[in-house]
Amino acid sequence: MSSPAETTDDPAKAAPASRSSYDGLRLSALSKSYGSFHAVQSLDLDVPKGSFFALLGPSGCGKTTTLRMVAGLETPTSGTITLAGQDITATKPYRRPVNTVFQNYALFPHLDIYENVAFGLRRRKVGGVDAKVKEMLELVELEAQARKKPAQLSGGQQQRVALARALINEPEVLLLDEPLGALDLKLRRSMQIEIKRIQVEVGLTFIHVTHDQEEAMTMADTVAVMNAGVIEQMGSPGELYENPRSTFVANFLGQSNLIEGTVTSTAGDVVTVDMHGIQVSVPAARAHTDGGKGWIGIRPEKVLIGAAGTELDAPGNTVPGGVVTDVSFIGVSTQYLVKMPWGQELQVFAQNTGRDRIFRVGDPVELSWRPEYAFLLDHSQDVNAGAEEAV
Amino acid sequence: MADTDRRKGLTAYLLMAPAVLVLALFFVIPFYSLVAASLYEPGGSDKEGWEMTYHVGNYVDAVQDYWEPLWHAIAYSAAATLICLVLGYVLAYAIAFKSGRWKSLLLVLVIAPFFTSFLVRTLSWQLILADDGWIVDTFQFLHLLGDDGRLLGTHFAVVMGLAYNFLPFMVLPLFASIDKIDHRLIEASGDLYSNPVVGFFKVTWPLSLPGVVSGTLLTFIPAAGDYINAELLGSTETNVIGNVIQLQATDAGHPNTAAALSMILMVGILVMVLVYIRKAGTEELL
Amino acid sequence: MVAFGGLSAAALKLPMFGIDAIQACADGGIAKDVSSSERDLIISNWTGYIDPRKNKNGTLAQFEDETGISVTYNVDVNDNAEFYAKVRNQMRACEPIDRDMIILTDWMAARMIGLDWIQPLDKKKVPNLHANLIESLQGKAWDPDLVYHAPWQSGLTGIAYNADLVDEVGSFEELISRDDLKGKITLLSEMNDTMGFFLKVVGADPGDFSDTEWENALDRLKQVKDDGHLRQFAGNNYLQQLSQGVLVACEAWSGDVIQAQYDNPNLKFVAPEEGLALWSDNMMVPNYATHQTNAEAWIDYYYRPEVAAKLAAWVNYICPVQGAQEAMLEIDPSLAENTLIFPDSDMLSNTWDFMSLDDEQQQKYEGEWADVISS
Ligand SMILES: Nc1ncnc2c1ncn2[C@@H]1O[C@H](COP(=O)(O)OP(=O)(O)OP(=O)(O)O)[C@@H](O)[C@H]1O
Ligand SMILES: [Mg+2]
Repeated sequence: MSSPAETTDDPAKAAPASRSSYDGLRLSALSKSYGSFHAVQSLDLDVPKGSFFALLGPSGCGKTTTLRMVAGLETPTSGTITLAGQDITATKPYRRPVNTVFQNYALFPHLDIYENVAFGLRRRKVGGVDAKVKEMLELVELEAQARKKPAQLSGGQQQRVALARALINEPEVLLLDEPLGALDLKLRRSMQIEIKRIQVEVGLTFIHVTHDQEEAMTMADTVAVMNAGVIEQMGSPGELYENPRSTFVANFLGQSNLIEGTVTSTAGDVVTVDMHGIQVSVPAARAHTDGGKGWIGIRPEKVLIGAAGTELDAPGNTVPGGVVTDVSFIGVSTQYLVKMPWGQELQVFAQNTGRDRIFRVGDPVELSWRPEYAFLLDHSQDVNAGAEEAV
Repeated sequence: MADTDRRKGLTAYLLMAPAVLVLALFFVIPFYSLVAASLYEPGGSDKEGWEMTYHVGNYVDAVQDYWEPLWHAIAYSAAATLICLVLGYVLAYAIAFKSGRWKSLLLVLVIAPFFTSFLVRTLSWQLILADDGWIVDTFQFLHLLGDDGRLLGTHFAVVMGLAYNFLPFMVLPLFASIDKIDHRLIEASGDLYSNPVVGFFKVTWPLSLPGVVSGTLLTFIPAAGDYINAELLGSTETNVIGNVIQLQATDAGHPNTAAALSMILMVGILVMVLVYIRKAGTEELL
Repeated sequence: MVAFGGLSAAALKLPMFGIDAIQACADGGIAKDVSSSERDLIISNWTGYIDPRKNKNGTLAQFEDETGISVTYNVDVNDNAEFYAKVRNQMRACEPIDRDMIILTDWMAARMIGLDWIQPLDKKKVPNLHANLIESLQGKAWDPDLVYHAPWQSGLTGIAYNADLVDEVGSFEELISRDDLKGKITLLSEMNDTMGFFLKVVGADPGDFSDTEWENALDRLKQVKDDGHLRQFAGNNYLQQLSQGVLVACEAWSGDVIQAQYDNPNLKFVAPEEGLALWSDNMMVPNYATHQTNAEAWIDYYYRPEVAAKLAAWVNYICPVQGAQEAMLEIDPSLAENTLIFPDSDMLSNTWDFMSLDDEQQQKYEGEWADVISS
């Protein structure tokens, strides 16, 4: 095992100038192994200063491990961590300008709320503790609870104390490890808004770990999708959703229809794919395969459904010969399962605009979608990756 | 409504009755007779009987004559408790946090000495601390002891014997307390700018206080009443109050003095314990 | 503690009570003797004070064979004062203590006899006792005619030292003053033993001393103790420490030393220049014993010279029975010559017997003694 100190001291691997001038948090080739098990594998990640960054991935994929390495609670097996241009890979946790909101809050049970929040300030011998604590308690709306012990608070209140306790130190980076995991859905939604509000207000860098894709999408500026110790894809929530690069991301973030096809030609910025005898096109920027076979992806809400033979108003890829096998009416929309001639069932979400009639099971239908919404993924990837882990 | 309340009250009293009876039998009656005996007119004898004259002077005489063994008992016990606390804390901490899969084995080892008799254990210390034993040799080599210096028969030996014999009483409650501490709290303190030392005193130590309080009490109280260690490891200069009470109650035939000394010891320890618990502020911690 | 148990029983006389003087039992402490119908005998003795009981040819088994009496032999006497505290409440309340025979040291025997807690023996049933008790044990002031007691074994109190570690300690004066012994000796915690020597040291006669002489002796003890010359006052376990070298010399009982010598020949017993204390542990029948005749059979049996010799060969204390020395020649001639089992007249002339004390004196001296050793 190579110690991180060694790695950074090695001149050959010394960080280039551009790197050290990066003012955000940068993880380079960061790995953590427990024996032969690789919890985190050669992770590269840039978190811009002041951003709300979400680390999203299924349980056990290495999110907590990554955060703990950033906080200094775990020593990386290899790789470096730099923060505002400074290598902090070997820095002791109590010397890092990083604070954590722990997965279970880890509030000090023997101290009251006030002292919990003041803890970091007192350790650093910062002045004006009282004013700062009051201000922070106000921010999280807990002024009235200042003299209570953690055990006397509700789950949501405890969560806010944990947030306040970390925030008050104005760290370069605030790490939040599934801070909302223990809360019920309703409280979780309101806390999401709260945390986002606070982040905007204080303008600090937040790294928010979650396995709830909706949470990541609503809160973060940038989302990194992590799977089995590696980052699958990183980008804005819209980008990730609209243009996933792997079957895992396509399935884990929302739902996708993935249909097998063979690339027949690439002309300009359009790739043509043979999909069970039907030629469909995909923009080259959304094709993530090197040719040969691939998975054509299309989100269920992007698929239009019409009675067989009718002219659909979506000029593009049209697929005839479907039969409705399942209909679920859920108010705002209707969800269909449509069996295609090659045997696969595709999902279709149709808005209940009132213009189209609702089909019944057994109705012959045809599907179509605009080519610019389709994407093409590498055939070697597991078509079901990420489907089960998604919440 | 009032009726069911009264019924509930009655049931509660009935349920308490056996405990109250046992307490009366094993505590109140002996205590009462102890108080009585401590007020007998001195100068009685078994043959002539003992006259009850509410002779409070027994207490004054007892303290005057035996303040030194009284002081010894408290001082030895306090010193031994302190040693046990330091050693026991390190031990309990190591077992709770650092021993991994050896945890249960180490715990068994801590209580293993209890499988032999108290007397045998203490006697073996006579040999360890003997004048030609290796400890004395080592101390002499290091010039911590003069050439004719010795350990056996000194205050030091008595304190060490007590510390050794009562260590498990300290370790077990400490372990129970420390083992319960969520390790993540210690990580959280590190995350919040406490170096390991500060983190220990701000988080680990306060969270282990219930164990510290019960451990020190479980060590101090029996150690203050113990006289085997003083007898076997000490000398005529290290008499403790337990020796005196025993001697006064049997050989000397002074039940009044023995009872007065017992009362003084009991009340003294009680007061110290109450003050201590008050100071440690553990009513809410416990 | 033993004493508290006793106190609690008395507490039933509420409210704040005293304890009345001891009254002689109205019925004289006599229970119906059922010896002839119940062939039982219950004895309380000290540990290691009889030859192996399981041995078919041992003295106890032979007694049972011969008389048909079945003996319950308890080793529950560890300390005179402690045993006294154990039976005190029943004795003073005129209740049986469920024992037919108890074996206690002279001073405690004297005290119990003085309290009327002991039953007289039928002289006709113990002819061997009257015929065979050695002369030096006859005529005790507290029971000159052997009405109440029969010595079981006797012993000498002298000095023991570890010849491996120090030169011979020839006198008690040396024991309490020699520099190379400082802090490495023990004295016995029995008042009569130790104070006998201190009385000698201050020139008094332990068999007959005045209060002033007693005080002088006590002062000398205090001085020795305050000098840090003593490790401890010991009652048991002192020879083990002597053997291990934790102690180098001590005041000691002869029989203990002989037994310890089997394991460590370096341990020596010395008759100090000041002389030796001669004492006995005595068989007595307590009030309300129901098998007195059986107890008397036991006494008479053990006063047969050949039985006494067999016992002495094992126990190694001084045999109180005349003629046992001759009988010993057949068992082990070397023991017959051991003066610590069969003392010669030279040795006996150098022994003393502690002054017989009445209850008040006993209490006063014991109290003052306890004050010195425990403060
Ligand atoms: N101390 C350890 N020893 C061995 N394996 C570990 C250790 N800590 C974590 N792991 C393993 O590393 C992997 C990643 O763990 P990590 O806690 O980072 O997951 P996570 O993404 O935070 O999951 P969750 O969403 O459930 O919190 C898991 O498979 C876990 O079993
Ligand atoms: Mg986690």
